[in-house]
Amino acid sequence: MIELLQNLIDGLGRGSIYALLALGVAVIFGVMHLLNFAHGELITVSGYAGYAAFQAGWSWYLVAPLVVVVSIVTSLVIERLAFSRVRGASDFTLLLTSFGIHFLVSAIFLMYVSASVKSFPRPGWVANTYSIGPLTVEVFDTVVIGVTIVTLAVTVAILQKTMFGLALRAAAADFDAARLMGVRSDSVIRGAFALSGFLAGIAAIFWLMRAGNTTPTAGSDPMLKGVLAALIGGLGSLRGAVLGGLALGLAEVLLRSQLPASVAELTEGVVFVLIALLFIFRPQGLITVAHAERV
Amino acid sequence: MFPDHRRDLYLPLLGAAVLFGALVGGGLLYQIAVGGSAERLVTAMLIDAIMVLGLQIYVGNTGVLSFGHMGFGAIAGYTFAIFAVGSDRKVGAPFGLESVVVSPAVATGIAVVVTLAAAVAIGIGLARSGAKSGAVAATVITLALLFVTHEVARNWIALTGGERAGLSFGIGEKLSSRLPVYLALFAALVVARLYSRSRSGQLAVAAREDNLAARAMGINPLVQQMAALLVSVVVVAVAASLRVFEFGTILPDLFFFDYTLLTLVMLIVGGRNSVSGAVLGVAVITVGRELARRTGSDGFEIFGVGLDGAPLDWVFREGLPTVFLGLAMLGFMIWRPVGILDDWEVDSWLHRRLHRSADARPEPLPELAAPTPVTLTAQGIDVRFGGFQALSDAGLVANSGEVVGIIGPNGAGKTTFVNVITGLVEPTGGTFRIGDADLTAAPTHELARAGLVRTFQNLRLFGALTVQANVETVSLVAREHRPGRDRVDPDALIADVGLWDHRDRRARELDYGNSRRLELARAAALAPAFLLLDEPTSGMSDSESLDMVEQVRRVAATVGAGVIVIDHDLNFITGISDRIYVFDQGRVIAEGTPAEVQANPLVKAAYLGSAAID
Repeated sequence: MIELLQNLIDGLGRGSIYALLALGVAVIFGVMHLLNFAHGELITVSGYAGYAAFQAGWSWYLVAPLVVVVSIVTSLVIERLAFSRVRGASDFTLLLTSFGIHFLVSAIFLMYVSASVKSFPRPGWVANTYSIGPLTVEVFDTVVIGVTIVTLAVTVAILQKTMFGLALRAAAADFDAARLMGVRSDSVIRGAFALSGFLAGIAAIFWLMRAGNTTPTAGSDPMLKGVLAALIGGLGSLRGAVLGGLALGLAEVLLRSQLPASVAELTEGVVFVLIALLFIFRPQGLITVAHAERV
Repeated sequence: MFPDHRRDLYLPLLGAAVLFGALVGGGLLYQIAVGGSAERLVTAMLIDAIMVLGLQIYVGNTGVLSFGHMGFGAIAGYTFAIFAVGSDRKVGAPFGLESVVVSPAVATGIAVVVTLAAAVAIGIGLARSGAKSGAVAATVITLALLFVTHEVARNWIALTGGERAGLSFGIGEKLSSRLPVYLALFAALVVARLYSRSRSGQLAVAAREDNLAARAMGINPLVQQMAALLVSVVVVAVAASLRVFEFGTILPDLFFFDYTLLTLVMLIVGGRNSVSGAVLGVAVITVGRELARRTGSDGFEIFGVGLDGAPLDWVFREGLPTVFLGLAMLGFMIWRPVGILDDWEVDSWLHRRLHRSADARPEPLPELAAPTPVTLTAQGIDVRFGGFQALSDAGLVANSGEVVGIIGPNGAGKTTFVNVITGLVEPTGGTFRIGDADLTAAPTHELARAGLVRTFQNLRLFGALTVQANVETVSLVAREHRPGRDRVDPDALIADVGLWDHRDRRARELDYGNSRRLELARAAALAPAFLLLDEPTSGMSDSESLDMVEQVRRVAATVGAGVIVIDHDLNFITGISDRIYVFDQGRVIAEGTPAEVQANPLVKAAYLGSAAID
């Protein structure tokens, strides 16, 4: 029981980061029908920006906002340079465009920065823990869960209370109808990329804090987790993306602790099998978004 | 498509010979120019070509993006290696495999069988998910396959040797002759061309162009995608075995993201929709990547980074080719997603150049023998979307040989009714049958095979296919699934609706009126018992509509089909129909001859408002 609670807390901490990433993926899918394999590159780029700032002697309190800003700007630049040119193209084209960006960005960092791992200091409290009764809780997990809740609250407020949020939700529900109702597709899509960059930026702070370093392929893993979590939740469903992220984090922690030691190394593989099975038996994901095809 | 059956083999052989000659010839010339150091590059290129052909068979014909083909590559590569390497190189392998050593050819055969088994399992999963949520889910499942095989390869060290040792051939045991590569390449070219020209290939391409329209024409896309997958993985398994044999070692990363990127870029740049394109892409990307690698090694300067002449940091050699691949992929996706050649095939082109045939315009279609009369009955159909009752107790009876009109104001439930009887919406109650067959909630392609075929209000043609191919593909379905019906000559049908002079144009290039005519001809090619026309004149002028009425009547009479027409234009419907059903608010409010219906006060009310009754 205690162990389960412990795992739940660990899983929620891990899942919160996934949820932020997945939400960014889902927001883009909603407005562009694009499954964004380049989402992790926001973490790669902002990670190197953070590294440069550390070199210049900045502290985490300054680096954190910088990471978010760089992530937002990168998201907008990628949209401008690549995605804006393939709007409305087939799924095939969109997927490969993002796949291409993913490789291009990591190769550019490989060439112009370095292939080696760039390390930076982790804040002192990351490794600290405290006890609640028999439970040992990481300060880091607590902060992650707390900040995620605040970030989600801000996102919900943006989506519910602002004109942009209304337009974005309308576009996610039915892009063509939203356009006919006067929603400006340009600004909604750019706004969605900015929001997605913001969410990825928050996630990037934690990802980098935990890793304490960055590499040219640092974005691959978070990208994968974000995309998978969005898929688990049901592509295009914003609520589903958050649930999917939490579910993925919990599944990873629980599997790792429950699987026999000989297979524990295969946790990632088992997670993929589970996701594939989910897709086979419930391809619409956990939360269904109706995609009526007009005939 | 080609009445002369010898052509079915002749064209693929011609294409394979030309493409094989070009790729191998180019490679040998390069070897002569550069010397021995180029030998491995050329061998690798030829093996890549086999791999890309395997990818093309699935991705090109079905239009489903597969990230997982390198997962199949890994399964085949490891199977090949575990059976082919010497016992001293796999000490402790499970299942007694340590003592099993077979020749590379036999090991390749085993790899093919194992990969096929994996493809059947994955294919069933793809079919299940694809049926519900389409191509993105399929892409994700294939991606999962790639990761799972990679994880297993990394962690099941007893079997795979893991990330450090892998499985290696001894010195002198590696692939030493290029003959197996040549044979496999030629065979892969022939197989790829044979498949794309086969019945299954043509049906898969139709479904690629428009999945829903294909189903409405009696094609089951999932069956064709499965067929394409199986043919595809056979070629992939052979390529993967050769790649391992040539490389001498298999490690988990040999068939992972990097190779996925390389082969996908090769496929896309040349043109995924054609075998010639796949081969061209392999050549272009191999040359480009080699140039990038040399530039990276010899030195250059961008933004002040780089050194003159001196070899650069190794990251440049590694990075520049990947940058080239990423840019190639992005550039083509943005500016030319169909690749250099699109669906151009060298053999078809040569054939057209050498035999300029002037096909004689076909004779007008004779009226076919009237089919056995059959009755279509929909009874008590209820459809509820959440709290909204879209249809309640709606029904209709239509007999072959008559024209039945369905009319009603917007929102009356006409479209929902059509979606029910074409299998797109499952009714919450009621029955639907054609003759004695109960087809309630049957899938769309089975309804089409049972004899009910539809056209689409918003035009769903197989856009990249020619007018002729649009009709002929459906005619292939008719041959198999409409037994007992005389086959309708596709050429004559095309001539009959006035598209003979446009028969070689792509469907997406047709103007609006001609597109509608093609929809009609394509539907008729299935030799249906009933033609269901969804607003066949929407967007047409009055005189065009009159022509359309004539054409519908003539085509229906020729193939002996009954007609069900949906429209909201009262004049059009009364002009064309023998009997009319009037829908309003989800119910049938009137039924009868045009004169009866026009006199019905309920109909006037529905159309003019209730004041008309008073």
